[in-house]
Amino acid sequence: MSIASTIQRSQVDLQDFVDWSGVECLNQNSGHSLINALKQGYRDDDGLHLESDADEQLLIYIPFTQVVKLHSILFVGPEEEGPRTVKLFANKEHMGFSNVNDYLPSDSAILSEENLKGKPIVLKYVKFQNVRSLTIFVEDNQGSAETSKVQKIILYGTTVETTNVKDLKKIEEH
Amino acid sequence: MVLESTMICIDNSEWMRNGDYSPSRFQAQTDAVNLICGAKTQSNPENTVGIMTMAGKGVRVLVTPTSDLGKILGCMHGLEVGGEMNLTAGIQVAQLALKHRQNKKQQQRIIVFAGSPIKYEKKTLEAIGRKLKKNSVALDIIDFGEEEDGKPEKLEALLSAVNNNSSSHIVHVPPGPNALSDVLISTPIFTGDGDGGSGFAAAAAAAAAGGMSGFDFGVDPNLDPELALALRLSMEEERARQEAAAKKAAEDATKQDKSGEQAADAVISEAGGSNSSLPIEKNVDVMDDESALLQQAIAMSVDNPDASQSTGIADANMSDADDQDLAIALQMSVEDSGKDLSAQTEMNKVLGDQSFMSSILASLPGVDPNDPSVKDLIASLQGQPEDKKKEDNQDNKEEKQ
Repeated sequence: MSIASTIQRSQVDLQDFVDWSGVECLNQNSGHSLINALKQGYRDDDGLHLESDADEQLLIYIPFTQVVKLHSILFVGPEEEGPRTVKLFANKEHMGFSNVNDYLPSDSAILSEENLKGKPIVLKYVKFQNVRSLTIFVEDNQGSAETSKVQKIILYGTTVETTNVKDLKKIEEH
Repeated sequence: MVLESTMICIDNSEWMRNGDYSPSRFQAQTDAVNLICGAKTQSNPENTVGIMTMAGKGVRVLVTPTSDLGKILGCMHGLEVGGEMNLTAGIQVAQLALKHRQNKKQQQRIIVFAGSPIKYEKKTLEAIGRKLKKNSVALDIIDFGEEEDGKPEKLEALLSAVNNNSSSHIVHVPPGPNALSDVLISTPIFTGDGDGGSGFAAAAAAAAAGGMSGFDFGVDPNLDPELALALRLSMEEERARQEAAAKKAAEDATKQDKSGEQAADAVISEAGGSNSSLPIEKNVDVMDDESALLQQAIAMSVDNPDASQSTGIADANMSDADDQDLAIALQMSVEDSGKDLSAQTEMNKVLGDQSFMSSILASLPGVDPNDPSVKDLIASLQGQPEDKKKEDNQDNKEEKQ
């Protein structure tokens, strides 16, 4: 357990390594964009959230400024409209809804209510050793609502090239 | 200046043979497509445009999105009209073509020319629209050609399903004298949501309109504003000068000529005008409907039963060039006096002033100021019964002869 918690503690919020110019989200409602869920300051504001538009699916594309290792991911969302089935793809550029089913996801998870309250989902670390970009596909939501809403998305991991020990912050256990 | 990749879907179905858009629907469409391609490539050099057909041999991509304008325009040659348009397949193929664009940073846009009737249900179209919106593809629809019931509604439904932040537009172009391209130039499809493209649009308007039509002096105000302004000012000045000159001539005519003769001449010229030159009368009629004096004068000339007599005299009068000019000037003065009530009353005052009238009449050759008929004639100008006027008219003419 301690080893696990040590690993947890050395993980960094990868928010600093996100290449914001390339961040994209398909099927987002223009009033409720990805920035609301991803960016520091915005995501902590409970009034702001990411919402889908035409239907309940979302395709989020996050490129990084350098290669990272992804350890875990955290979603916060409302009970009904929060995401349920989530698929993650590492290093797949410019995916569309049409070809999202053509590729095997690097990892997939079905979120529970606990997860939506803030429990991070630990990923298959071995699959995310060399991540340049991450694609998150929200397939459906908890209550089969018309649109999906996400309050927060936090990515935990480390960088490959440099791991600045001073940057390591203690991450609270939820 | 939005970085965009556009797919233009051309309708080359049988319905495009129709000539209600000159020279034919298909030709009008081709012109519009050429203009759009030019506008897109000009607004941003990195923009790409692709062309595909929806009918004819089938849904075919003629050229994949490229920024090479020559290639785009060249592929339109030799296109044949025929078959039926397949809207759903066309849009799907366009979407696929855009998905495989080289520069993923470009925004995706599809422009559809919907000329033939739409055989799909609203629901099908809405589903397609939602799919486009989900993949953040904007859609511009040009509704022209066939006008069937429900077509505009179906296309509007499709637009509202796709529309995200007013990035998609629809234009309905009814058949008419204006070319399809001219109508499109002023729409957001060309102007690119307000910013950019407007400079090109203005230049295109000048080129497309042939330079002359649409611009007053054959000079595009956008291209040469100073010249256009100078031409406009000089035209206005000339107009003002001419009006002033005409007014002055009319005034001189009314003042210097003996009023009696003037009255007679006015009546005769009116009669002559009504009989020998209808356009003048009509012109007068049209321009000054409310003028009571004018109505009266025309009624007088129209009521004149002896057309031959008046014509003869009118001809005798009209043959004299001076008199003709005088007649025209008098006509104008009558109009002017009709327009301006104060002027009218002034003239009446002048005519009514007996002493003045008699002194003027005295200088008239062959007109006896004390002649009761002449006196009656003068009085008639102030609204005496027409019968008396007629008599006076005849008497006066005989006297003159």
